[in-house]
Amino acid sequence: MPAVSMTVNGKPVTADVDPRTLLVQFLREELRLTGTHVGCDTSQCGACVVHVNGRAIKSCTVFALQLEGAKVATIEGLANGDQLHPMQEAFRDNHGLQCGFCTPGMIMAAVDIVNRKGHDLDEHTIRSELEGNLCRCTGYHNIVKAIAAGARAMGSGAAVTQKAAE
Amino acid sequence: MAMVMDGEVQLPAPREVVWAKLNDAEVLKACIPGCESLEKLSETEFQAVAVVKIGPVKAKFKGKVRLSDLDPPNGYRISGEGDGGVAGFAKGGATVALTPKDGTQLSYHVDAQIGGKLAQLGQRLVNGAAKNMADQFFKNFVAAVS
Amino acid sequence: MSATGIGATVRRKEDQRFITGKGHYTADVNRAGQTHACFVRSPHAHARIKGIDATAASKMPGVVAVLTGADLAVDKLGNLICGWMIHSKDGSAMKMAPHPALAQTKACHVGDPVAVVIAETLAQAKDAAEKVQVDYEVLPAVADPAQAQSAGAAQIHEVAPKNTIYQWQLGDKGKTDAAFQSAAHVTKLDIVNNRLVPNAIEPRAAIGEYDSGTGHFTLWNTTQNPHVARLVIAAFIGMAPEHKLRVIAPDVGGGFGSKIFIYPEEVVALWASKRVGRPVKWVAERVESFLSDAHGRDHVTHAEMAFDRDGKVVGLRARTIANLGAYMSTFSSSVPTYLYATLLSGQYNIPNIYCEVDAVYTNTVPVDAYRGAGRPEATFVVERLVEVAARELSIDPAELRKRNFIHQFPHQTPVILAYDAGDYNASLKKALELADYKGFAKRKRESARDGKLRGIGLSAYIEACGLAPSQAAGSLGAGVGLWESAEVRVNPTGSVEVLTGSHSHGQGHETTFAQLVSERLGIAIDNVSIVHGDTDIVQFGMGTYGSRSGAVGMSAIVKALDKVEAKAKKVASHLLEAAEGDIVFKDGKFTVAGTDRSVPWGDVALNAYTAHKFSGQELEPGLKETSFYDPTNFTFPAGCHVCEVEIDPDTGETEIVNWTAVDDFGVLVNPMIVEGQVHGGITQGVGQALLERAIYDKDGQLVTGSFMDYCMPRAHDVPSFKVGVTVTKCPSNPLGIKGCGEAGAIAAPAAVINAITDAIGSEQIAMPATPQAVWTAIQRGNATRKAAE
Repeated sequence: MPAVSMTVNGKPVTADVDPRTLLVQFLREELRLTGTHVGCDTSQCGACVVHVNGRAIKSCTVFALQLEGAKVATIEGLANGDQLHPMQEAFRDNHGLQCGFCTPGMIMAAVDIVNRKGHDLDEHTIRSELEGNLCRCTGYHNIVKAIAAGARAMGSGAAVTQKAAE
Repeated sequence: MAMVMDGEVQLPAPREVVWAKLNDAEVLKACIPGCESLEKLSETEFQAVAVVKIGPVKAKFKGKVRLSDLDPPNGYRISGEGDGGVAGFAKGGATVALTPKDGTQLSYHVDAQIGGKLAQLGQRLVNGAAKNMADQFFKNFVAAVS
Repeated sequence: MSATGIGATVRRKEDQRFITGKGHYTADVNRAGQTHACFVRSPHAHARIKGIDATAASKMPGVVAVLTGADLAVDKLGNLICGWMIHSKDGSAMKMAPHPALAQTKACHVGDPVAVVIAETLAQAKDAAEKVQVDYEVLPAVADPAQAQSAGAAQIHEVAPKNTIYQWQLGDKGKTDAAFQSAAHVTKLDIVNNRLVPNAIEPRAAIGEYDSGTGHFTLWNTTQNPHVARLVIAAFIGMAPEHKLRVIAPDVGGGFGSKIFIYPEEVVALWASKRVGRPVKWVAERVESFLSDAHGRDHVTHAEMAFDRDGKVVGLRARTIANLGAYMSTFSSSVPTYLYATLLSGQYNIPNIYCEVDAVYTNTVPVDAYRGAGRPEATFVVERLVEVAARELSIDPAELRKRNFIHQFPHQTPVILAYDAGDYNASLKKALELADYKGFAKRKRESARDGKLRGIGLSAYIEACGLAPSQAAGSLGAGVGLWESAEVRVNPTGSVEVLTGSHSHGQGHETTFAQLVSERLGIAIDNVSIVHGDTDIVQFGMGTYGSRSGAVGMSAIVKALDKVEAKAKKVASHLLEAAEGDIVFKDGKFTVAGTDRSVPWGDVALNAYTAHKFSGQELEPGLKETSFYDPTNFTFPAGCHVCEVEIDPDTGETEIVNWTAVDDFGVLVNPMIVEGQVHGGITQGVGQALLERAIYDKDGQLVTGSFMDYCMPRAHDVPSFKVGVTVTKCPSNPLGIKGCGEAGAIAAPAAVINAITDAIGSEQIAMPATPQAVWTAIQRGNATRKAAE
């Protein structure tokens, strides 16, 4: 089996993989980073979104072998130790999750939206940017609120203080 | 999941030649897209293996191909069913009619059914894929009879 | 109300793990030495299995075993069952066909599992599954429920002639027909309640493990009710006695009903683990979910509503054909009967109701409860009839509803249920205010100026939740009781574990249940843990479905807390050297009434365990109590949703521009969580109305079998929702809770379709109202109008 080396959440990893191993399988099965989820097999649900070299991708659409030398970030690497990323905090504050299964992909996609679209996101932008992510629980209402709040917090650099009661 | 397709092709060869080629396992094997083997079991029966790709589903189909309603040199019906394992199945046939006209005019009427994963994932693409396969077959066949 | 007590918006305790990727779902579980399973599924809707040749597959690399239905039969495992008995009008029992976990003589739907390959890796299992040769004799199939009973239709099961499972009725036919005969106006509708795929984002999964040393089985499973799964797998499948089978439901990623049922795959994973002597793991691919998770709805209905001269409803009758698919799933029989026809009175005083339901087999995936389960179908019938009638009678739809609302409680409907409390006028009034119903005409004119068609639709729904008094459920055919259990374990340091038979798969029980305990015992919410989802740890419980965890699950906790408090008072009386009857418990302190002498909660908890202040003859040490709570009635959440749409007549595209929901759920424990439940429910209902439909072709092939073809609601398909509440307390449980999990999905479809038909001036449009369907309806309307001119 061929070997692949990449950096995952800041740590270098090297492993021999079956060539057909998808990135998501590599993360979940080889590295046991099970925060990245699989919700479909046709690249529609977005539960597997991670960042590769700073951009969001669906980790079910690339082979691990394609990512030689890449920098991969998963939900497990988003917080800074015990300090949550502002987007994580915003999802909790705004009740942007219920069963939690789509959540890692949603949060990774949301951070990417902010990286691309800035900190002042209107509802229409957020909803259309979420095109690649399915949630069956929340009806999206609170996810949209969470992303708007998380985007603002990422801009201010401060923790989100908005209360869920809002 | 059923589909039908009709078409005509103009072949630059006399009807007898076309008829002979239509009954020649080697010719058919060369012309059927993705055909890996076509073994003659009898004058009218073949064992076939073909690799077919429709949308996200790619599978090796194994099955029998039969010739019936033989009416030399006017035409026949070629039918078959293939088992693609977990990819599902495909079955169907084509009625082929030959008319002498500027060489030979071949008209065909195809009816086909697919099932399993092929229908589940590939149904939106199946008509286009079938059309492609037919086009590819006749392109090859034109070359074979020329 | 304390900051974390009942009624407080508290951030969820469970979120920390989910937002950091530390959730622990079944697919995340890995066992030492585990193997992987890949199912071989029928590509045919209906086919006799003449033989299975596993020779080539068995020789593939990494293959541990290939097992078939014949192996299952050798081990004498029982069939999957439907646990709710329904009797036909002629008194005969429903016709339950055998349902082996692996098909034995024939496959009855596309996706029916016929063999399983167990291998070292998943890739190897999949490769080998390609090599399993199944010799099928293809049989004619029937997929359309309306065709299933016809003379020429394929016959699926010997036990059920004409594919008919039961022909059931409810209500008084004679009286209802008489009411129709003397009616001033009758509104008639033909309705197809479209077939849906639940599609929780977490696919189902199972890991079976057998310990040959102890004879114990363990099953990790994506289930909403681990004890019921254990009961069925033990008592009916005969895998192992209950005490030797442990079912663990770790974090479960959404259920919506689809994870209530006991499926072939978990049975096979368990059985195979003993066969191969190693753990067996199976995780569904999404295409498998489409072919194996129980689907929802799929009714074909003709319904009529009769009115007198004053616009009062005098009768309702409905005839429904319900598709139950190829086999009877765990609770499928109850959905189109007692969860459907009993709700046909809606919020209205309807003196005469009669409903007939034929349940049929078809060559499709089994159909069972999906969010709302029968009640969305009933609400759609009632609320569409009322809306269409209002137009036919030229009465404002809100006014017609008001005219027929039930005002007096309790109210006995003619279809079993006795509504205990509600104020339907209040929720309608508040919804119309929040939706600015009065300003609609102006908004419609503005839309018209932009070339758009605007419509508004109401849905005044009711549901029966909190399932259910066990005795009542039993008399209606339920094979189980529908109480719930709780154990409250107080630790010596005063912290508390609650073991609940309810199961959380997104509902936030770890927070809301802790809020209840926090308020009652006056301790911090962080000092309460909610434990659920493991049959070895938690006492028998009934699980979560039917919006029951608040009304029933939390009531059980209340009852256990009552016992804890009573025992704690005894301990306190010894500490305070006062009579037990003089002890008052408030704000986390035990006080001798009328004095300032008190002991805090923590001291009482510690002393219950040190047992230094009382003798064993006087009082048992320890502080742990259990309760099994059986409700006295169903609960009746109700409310009014208002949907406003704008339609582009050139494309037929519908945009939902406003949504107002006013619900009466009784007492709210955590308004933030309740609102979240409402949002999610509405979106599933909008999905049904605008986007989703499982389509089988005439051969029984599922042609909407992935997210490429089955249209799931996405963020841009729905607006932000306006959510309000009215409150009438539920009188049948100690907390006054009615339940909120299904309301949105029940209310929404009728609201959307009422709004669309209002916009385009048509009485009929099928769900899902896709742009193509709406555009076609607009063209048809234009043509009719032209012809009339």
